[in-house]
Amino acid sequence: MADIVRHGRLQNPPFRLRSGQLLAALMTASALMLAAPGAALASNNTKTGSSAKAKATAGGHAGNRSAGRSSAKAQPKGRKGAVAAEARTAGATARPARKPASNAAPIQEAGNAEARLIAVYEMFGRGQARPALAKARDLVRDYPNFQLAQLVYGDLLAAQVPPSNALPDTASIAKMRGSPAMAELHEESKRRLQALRERPPANTVPSQFLALSTRSRYAIAVDASRSRLYLFENSDKGLRLTADYYISVGKSGTDKATEGDARTPLGVYYITSSLDPKSLKDFYGAGALPINYPNPYDLRRGKTGGGIWLHGTPPQQFARAPLASDGCVVMANPDLKQLLRKVQIGATPVVTARSLQWITQPQAEKESQSITGAINGWKDARANGNEAQLKKFYLPDFQRSSKKSTEGISAVDDEVKYAQGKRVQLKDMSYLHWRDGDDTMIVTFGEVFEGEKSGRSRRQYWLRQGTDWKLFHEEILG
Amino acid sequence: MPKSPRPRARFSFSPAVRALFLAAATCGAVLPALAAPEHEEVDKLMQAGKLDEAMTKADAFLKDKPRDPQMRFLKGVIQLDTGKRAEAIAAFTQLTQDAPELPEPYNNLAVIYASQNQFDKARGALESAIRTNPSYATAQENLGDVYARLASQAYSKALQLDQNNTAVQPKLAVIRTLFTPTPVGGKPTAVVASAAPAPAPVAKAPAPAPAPAAPPPAKVAAAPAPVAAAPKAPEATPAPAPAPAPAASTASNAEVESAVRAWASAWASQDMERYLAAYGPDFAPAGGQSRKSWEEDRRARIVGKTSISVNIENLAIKVDGQTATAKFRQIYRADNLNVSSRKTLDMQRSGNHWHIRKESVGG
Repeated sequence: MADIVRHGRLQNPPFRLRSGQLLAALMTASALMLAAPGAALASNNTKTGSSAKAKATAGGHAGNRSAGRSSAKAQPKGRKGAVAAEARTAGATARPARKPASNAAPIQEAGNAEARLIAVYEMFGRGQARPALAKARDLVRDYPNFQLAQLVYGDLLAAQVPPSNALPDTASIAKMRGSPAMAELHEESKRRLQALRERPPANTVPSQFLALSTRSRYAIAVDASRSRLYLFENSDKGLRLTADYYISVGKSGTDKATEGDARTPLGVYYITSSLDPKSLKDFYGAGALPINYPNPYDLRRGKTGGGIWLHGTPPQQFARAPLASDGCVVMANPDLKQLLRKVQIGATPVVTARSLQWITQPQAEKESQSITGAINGWKDARANGNEAQLKKFYLPDFQRSSKKSTEGISAVDDEVKYAQGKRVQLKDMSYLHWRDGDDTMIVTFGEVFEGEKSGRSRRQYWLRQGTDWKLFHEEILG
Repeated sequence: MPKSPRPRARFSFSPAVRALFLAAATCGAVLPALAAPEHEEVDKLMQAGKLDEAMTKADAFLKDKPRDPQMRFLKGVIQLDTGKRAEAIAAFTQLTQDAPELPEPYNNLAVIYASQNQFDKARGALESAIRTNPSYATAQENLGDVYARLASQAYSKALQLDQNNTAVQPKLAVIRTLFTPTPVGGKPTAVVASAAPAPAPVAKAPAPAPAPAAPPPAKVAAAPAPVAAAPKAPEATPAPAPAPAPAASTASNAEVESAVRAWASAWASQDMERYLAAYGPDFAPAGGQSRKSWEEDRRARIVGKTSISVNIENLAIKVDGQTATAKFRQIYRADNLNVSSRKTLDMQRSGNHWHIRKESVGG
């Protein structure tokens, strides 16, 4: 047809004319508002930032169908496999320590969604609204339950609606934009971007990780203020940030104190087991990694509750709101799957902090000097058989626990007998520092007596009193 | 002035201007020229609601010229009107393959998809329509509606709301006939206002299928633009002040002016009763649209806007006995839209009142 040309064509491309005002209007209501200015920066930082790719994704939206899991007693809600917290940690479904939990997720899958969302932000920030729209459409096609992606897609679509459109849909859009639940999605958007913009300084680690034995091949640190979980790989070259993921914490925030307070605990913990997702309700998604809250320090301070897990999201939600759980740390299923294949039961530390501080290797070494001195003093006192001197290292309410039977070393005095004056070498030292009102150190090591090939593994909880470090708890790991 | 029965189609201006045209001035819109008498006949029958008869004629015509796009298109519309969606989809889809440069079949496919709740498919079709013809107004408007629905759906998903009870389904506009233009390069003003005369350039009968090289769209687009965008065209701009008129007509001038201003103010204040009353009983909506459906259209376009303002500048009135023409620049603002255009109202006196009997853009 030669003659399909139209008379009424205008020079103006159809949508340009209103883009100015419209954009302004959109920004006030949009998740994109938070994205546009600094999104490009985010990607740059992501690339330069200590090797982390903008991988993560997760978090989301208050599902509110919480299963009341913040306490051990409230736990046994699951149908098939949900077990009381104690049972779970003991390990019905727990896998043997030191073996990474297996899981067969392709590594590329995770992170993908967030990275793609950020790409949409960046395009939009550069004024490429149409390509951004196309990318957003692909994203929601692949992740239809990614609510923030839906919101961004909706925002981009709404930007294409002529302002003169007075259809019912425009009214319902306005109404939904005003919905309070939008605020949570905007917050999620903000935190994701913030975490990607403000990267940890190069060659730094969270201040809790003063030293980590290479027996822990991975370490995890959660920054609640950024809704972010950082995953580190540990080698003889030290810790290296390998990925970070959006996460959700408790509805009421952090600093858990009592059972049922819907808060996420703050402290230094270890993964205690990996729960088979088949034994879990859909609500927990791809799996669950319980941590040892309340740890001996928490118990000492009278904290209650339990059943704190890192777990996935329900099928209908790709991610949940920043503050959504009953105290658990919630990750998108693809992200959790990545974690599942890496963590070592009993050996992967999980730091949960209100806000992470990042320190360099020299700083970490300096920080660990005083506790190194205390450990050596303790070791020497024991080797010398000096009971009085050894006692100085213990607080009166010191307690010891062991997974095995206590084998006759249930008291401080037994240490001397146990050591029998033999020289001992401590190896695989890990120092995890936790400072809140008090200054505590969680020290994990193995000991090998002279002439023997192996010995015990211990995890000791030290508390600083004045300038001295004192032991208040010890776990014999095996 | 009842037009010869021409298809009521909505055409081809940017959304901004189009909003105006459709809204206010469909009367002046370009009317498609149907190439062959058969087309016109089928179209007439369709408008008269004689769909069976129209179908018979269409089929007969297609027996001889099975590839004729216009008739195939009309047949698709008949199928659509008679609820034969699957057949209509097949017809329009085939047309998009045989004549991918035509926006209309894409548009109508979108209408069907949307009616089946397949808004993403509708979007795809409309984007194709616009790709072939960026300023195709009906498709633009439909696409706006589809975007609004998709946005609404996305927000529902973002909030995990039940999507079954969201707003009423948008109803997209069907294009009734393929558009064939009057010759390019005619008088600029002809674009809008002249629709009426020329009984279609016969020579331009819908060429059989594969497009014998349409003029480069960009070039074509450029030509008419100034008109629609109006600001230039100095020769068309009447003197700011009416030329000194015979004393006798001064009073009439004032009456006409006040009628025009009343019309604009009713429009701006969204007073539909007064607004519609400004149009006389002999007012003929463009494209053979019925008065009733034109009124509904207008209502839909006016009511519900947050605000409308209609300013009139450079008003020039010419009175000739019982009739008058008012030409002016109309500055229309609604919500975020701001459009300035030339407007001509043909007025008719009845008693002490002046009514609009024709409204056109341009001039």
